[in-house]
Amino acid sequence: MTGKARDSRAPGRILRANTLWPQSLWIGIICAASLASAVIACGLGSFPSPPAETLRALVHALGQAIGLHMGQPVDPALSVVVVDIRLARVALAWLTGASLATAGCVFQGVLRNPLADAFTLGVSGGAAFGASVAIIFGLAGGAAISGLGGSTGILPLFALAGALLALAAVLALGRAGSGSMGNMRRETLVLAGIVVSTFLSALISLLKSLDEESVASIVFWIMGSFQGRGFEHVRLALPYMAVGLGLVLWRARELDLLALGEGQARLLGLDAGRSRLWLLIGASLLSGAAVAVSGVIGFVGLVVPHLLRMVIGAGHRTLLPASAGLGGLLLLWSDVLARSILPGGAELPVGVVTALIGGPFFCLLLGRNSQGGA
Amino acid sequence: MARTNADRLPASIMRLPVIGTHMRPNIEAVLAQRPDLVLQLAGRKEASLPVEALRKHGLKVAVFHASTFAELFSVIRRVGLLTGSEEQAEVMVRGLEMRLTALDNKLSASADNRTSRPRVFFEVRSPNMLAAGQAGLVGEIIRHAGGVNCVADKAKFARLSEEEVIRLMPEAYLIQRGPMNPAPLPLDKRPRLRAIPAALSGKAWFVDEQKYSRPGPRNVDAAEELAGLLHPEIKSPAPKVPTSKHKDTK
Repeated sequence: MTGKARDSRAPGRILRANTLWPQSLWIGIICAASLASAVIACGLGSFPSPPAETLRALVHALGQAIGLHMGQPVDPALSVVVVDIRLARVALAWLTGASLATAGCVFQGVLRNPLADAFTLGVSGGAAFGASVAIIFGLAGGAAISGLGGSTGILPLFALAGALLALAAVLALGRAGSGSMGNMRRETLVLAGIVVSTFLSALISLLKSLDEESVASIVFWIMGSFQGRGFEHVRLALPYMAVGLGLVLWRARELDLLALGEGQARLLGLDAGRSRLWLLIGASLLSGAAVAVSGVIGFVGLVVPHLLRMVIGAGHRTLLPASAGLGGLLLLWSDVLARSILPGGAELPVGVVTALIGGPFFCLLLGRNSQGGA
Repeated sequence: MARTNADRLPASIMRLPVIGTHMRPNIEAVLAQRPDLVLQLAGRKEASLPVEALRKHGLKVAVFHASTFAELFSVIRRVGLLTGSEEQAEVMVRGLEMRLTALDNKLSASADNRTSRPRVFFEVRSPNMLAAGQAGLVGEIIRHAGGVNCVADKAKFARLSEEEVIRLMPEAYLIQRGPMNPAPLPLDKRPRLRAIPAALSGKAWFVDEQKYSRPGPRNVDAAEELAGLLHPEIKSPAPKVPTSKHKDTK
């Protein structure tokens, strides 16, 4: 009943949002804010970086990237800090946030469950398990975790494989519980996701018990962080993220139909089972790649789509790109906070920052939503 | 008569039965050994629970803490007292004290040390970078070896970003290898740290976690070894250093 009530409110929201601001303007604002934030974030950190020097380092790096001599070379240490550390983290944080928020938006739309995200479907749990296996079996030394030195980055690949295997297990369970792939019930999928997550979480605890020396590494990986990450991680995750994003944007209209309910979607000629499967694969590629390079980062996939539905409406052709932009922006600033809030150059795991920001914010959203619905 | 899973030195103790891990010793396994005395190194809060349980069962448990050489020597003397080997402990401590004094004298006689005490960074774990802070024996080892620990944090460990490591500009970079840091990358395989003085001069070494981070007589070996690396002119009895850029002190 509540599902029906929620669906019936969605068109009203779209109309209400349209009358205030054109949706494309919101996307433009988010893009401009992302660019400005990226430049500002490259100037923030424990290493002294005057704004003029930071800009010179960025312009010089941009020139080198496109094969032009732009700007004057700067102090090598400052250049490493601004470009190789901060800019790489900014890029990776933005991409990860964009992927998590887009994936969350798709999971919520496909499963018509406001609490669905990478956690609910076991994708994060699968990635965490894959990473834990890599750490426990010694495949995750500096080379494997950071993916440096020409190494293939074994840990991210284990995490990605874990994420996709977990989703395969959830889909198989969903099919077993519903009779066929085309008729998978969304309740069965959510339940299967929770079962798989819980099981994998027990397996991670087992691995931690078997090798106490690795507990700290596993715990820190699971808390999520961009520490020690660089452009090699961007290169590793970007292809999966691009394919995932392309897949879900291509099927955004189908997501709108699925959100109306399966019966209505079928009446409108949609092969609901096939659409749902492709959308789930796209969202899993996005969240699997994000978790693989950053660890488990919560709340971005929940808070961003909910906030945007209130502002720009529930149409997925706008909601998906807007979620990507705002998710990127949120994680970019969360990472800046994570790396600069503690004195003495110490860092907080970024997953802790998103949980601290996202938890109370999500409660506010829930409160506003229930008042609006009453 | 028994050890935890992490106790592996000297090699002769490997044949002894294992009573669990240092974080979670198995009370039943300890009781089964019927020990007259249980020794524990303080540090982890969770490890104090089994101590209470063992005391409840009537066992004598001595918990020690050592974060300076003076404290370490005091611990060796007290263990000697508790095990009836006072004389042996005293001989050992005097030998270690003499070696440290000799090292201090050599360093103060060295012209190089009078002019420069290199800024040393000690990596406990990476890539979730954990460095040795001012408290703890690693700081003492660095001081006695004629260096300065460039991490100012007063705690035993400091969690740092790569950016902060670059800001600290360490002139020597030590990477411990052992259970806490099982497969660290050498410094020349970390492009983001390429601009620090230690990377530019090649003063980066792998060191043995058991020698540097576990309190014991081997910490004096560590101080001598490090002094030889930081101040080669003192001709300290440092082990052979391979000619490759990233030398392994094991």
